[in-house]
Amino acid sequence: MSDRMLTMAEALREAMGIAMEERPEVFILGEDIGIYGGAFGVTGDLYHRFSPLRVLDTPISELGIVGAAVGAALSGMRPIVEIQFSDFTAQAMDQIANQAAKIHFMLGGALHVPLVLRTPQGSGTGAAAQHSQNLETWFANVPGLKVVVPSNPADAKGLLLSAIDDPNPVIFLEHKLLYKIPGRDPVPEGAIRIPLGVSKVVRTGKDLTLVATGIMVNKAFEVTEKLEAEGISITLIDPRTISPLDMSPILESVEKTGRLLVVQEGPSHGGFINEVIARVSESSSFGSLIAPIKRLAGMNIPIPYAPQLEKAAVPQVADIEVAARNLVKEWR
Amino acid sequence: MSFRYPVVMPKMSMTMETGELILYHVKPGDRVSSGDVLFEVMTDKIDMEVEAPTDGVIEQLIGEIGIDIPIGTPVLIMQTDTEVMAFDFGGEAPTIPAPPEAIVEPVVLPEPVIVPEPVVVPEPVIVPEPVRAEVGVKAVPKARIVAAQKGIDLQSVVATGPDNTIMLADVTQIRPSDEIQRRQSANKALIAKGLEMTRLIPQSSFSRTVSTSVDTAALLAAWASVLRSRPELNISPKDGSELSFVGVAVIIESKYGSALPVFKDPDLLGALELSELVSTTTSAAENGKVPLSMLSGATTIVFDLRRYHMSATTPLLFPNQLTSITVGENIDGTQIISLTIDLRYCDFYDGALLLDHLISVL
Repeated sequence: MSDRMLTMAEALREAMGIAMEERPEVFILGEDIGIYGGAFGVTGDLYHRFSPLRVLDTPISELGIVGAAVGAALSGMRPIVEIQFSDFTAQAMDQIANQAAKIHFMLGGALHVPLVLRTPQGSGTGAAAQHSQNLETWFANVPGLKVVVPSNPADAKGLLLSAIDDPNPVIFLEHKLLYKIPGRDPVPEGAIRIPLGVSKVVRTGKDLTLVATGIMVNKAFEVTEKLEAEGISITLIDPRTISPLDMSPILESVEKTGRLLVVQEGPSHGGFINEVIARVSESSSFGSLIAPIKRLAGMNIPIPYAPQLEKAAVPQVADIEVAARNLVKEWR
Repeated sequence: MSFRYPVVMPKMSMTMETGELILYHVKPGDRVSSGDVLFEVMTDKIDMEVEAPTDGVIEQLIGEIGIDIPIGTPVLIMQTDTEVMAFDFGGEAPTIPAPPEAIVEPVVLPEPVIVPEPVVVPEPVIVPEPVRAEVGVKAVPKARIVAAQKGIDLQSVVATGPDNTIMLADVTQIRPSDEIQRRQSANKALIAKGLEMTRLIPQSSFSRTVSTSVDTAALLAAWASVLRSRPELNISPKDGSELSFVGVAVIIESKYGSALPVFKDPDLLGALELSELVSTTTSAAENGKVPLSMLSGATTIVFDLRRYHMSATTPLLFPNQLTSITVGENIDGTQIISLTIDLRYCDFYDGALLLDHLISVL
């Protein structure tokens, strides 16, 4: 086992480098990803390690970037698109939702669109309403797209390798605040893949099932450690891929704990966590519930610019801690 | 509190299915004491006076004079303040017009000592109804499921959860319902009364520690086969006549109190068949149900203390029982088998031989 503690940016770069070495048809395109190394430094030195033709700086046109990538994918290439902020995918939504997601189905399966779209999302950087959204639900609501939300460097590397292998379009949503921090687990050397559509049980406890995605996994983990000291043991599950969604460990855990807390950073209205709750409600595990299901999500407002308000608009560690403790203490 | 208590056509012999009502000794409104004659019954074998099982007032005469009445059918209804021990019949419950229904075995008095018929006074079917999803009561899903399984009416559960919601703990820590508590206390009173009466009987107990372990079914079969070879210990408490079968009662304790299902000729059943019968009867008795056909006819009682991880108890004969066997377990895995005998039927020497015999069969 390797003991390399990489940041998520380093882990993602490593995955792209491995994929480009493995397959000549893999290439990256996006704004400022070449010479500059990416707005968040994810592509880094790949421009120099490979060629300007495989790490392609593009004009500022998201529609054009994704459109070119869809065409390349249909022609046998495996493009990795980087969109500088996930908010800008709105510019390219026709290519993503109407073209990339549907062509395979509308042509009776004759063609594939093996495209990966990587993009940073999330609040906490003071970048205000147009650069801070969590948009996983937009994409999860489009059949034909797979949606990955990694929470740590090791998962990010393994999941990105699987996303590049996948013959279908995969949206890869990376939280900005995770780029620069190392994970709890070392990142394995080599081309180790983590399959899409498999939830990860981060830790196991008996009192509460806590489901969180992206950066919320880190915040939730902090809470599980703190509450463990109080005698509250929590099962923490990171779905990693929210479409397709692997519910089985969540349902199994709910049957054991009887309590469920779901957390996301994006706004609660129509959020991804609601899907988790709905599936628990529909399942036979519903009868195991000994407490109402609790969710924590962002407020239904554009992310504010003022730092205090920005922080208040999304769940913080203290919010998760209070919600988890109350669920366990109040419901026996 | 007053209960309506049906006095039914008793089963007075193994073959009896109906009895002809000859004469009433009471009329509606009469106040009667326990033991007063209520009516007379004629069967193909025996004529008998049926006595009041308890103090009370006659409310209604149901049976018609000169008509054959099936056993278990109410002949009259009395009002009583005494709750009678409650066992129900499961599927074999007779159809009785007005609730609450109860069926009383005849009080049969053995010659030497006046002892009432054993503690098998059956009573109404108090089977918990499956609870419907109770709309309007707030409860977490798991609490609803547990309540349904336990037959708890959510309306009767005190909610301690937020927003007056019933939590799982509210149904898992619930006290038994009033119904069950009444049955428990009536049961205790009856057992206590019965044992108090049998204390007058000269009796003695012998114990032996053995290393072999047998299950309840095998013990029943072994003990029945021993008694079969000792017909003088297998006699009717009514008239001292030898019985044509060997009836062994087993004490099953449950939240409803003690139940005493009687296994007839267990030694003549196949081991598997008997084992299955013991198992199904035990679980039924634990739910407060004993089949009508297993309510009487025992001359001996088996108390398997191992079910409760006990080693010994103070042995006392139950009413109408000439012998009883208790089996306990020691911490080292050895078992203690105790025999209690009625010294009017069996002397010390005999008793020792009897226990020897049982252990050798085991």
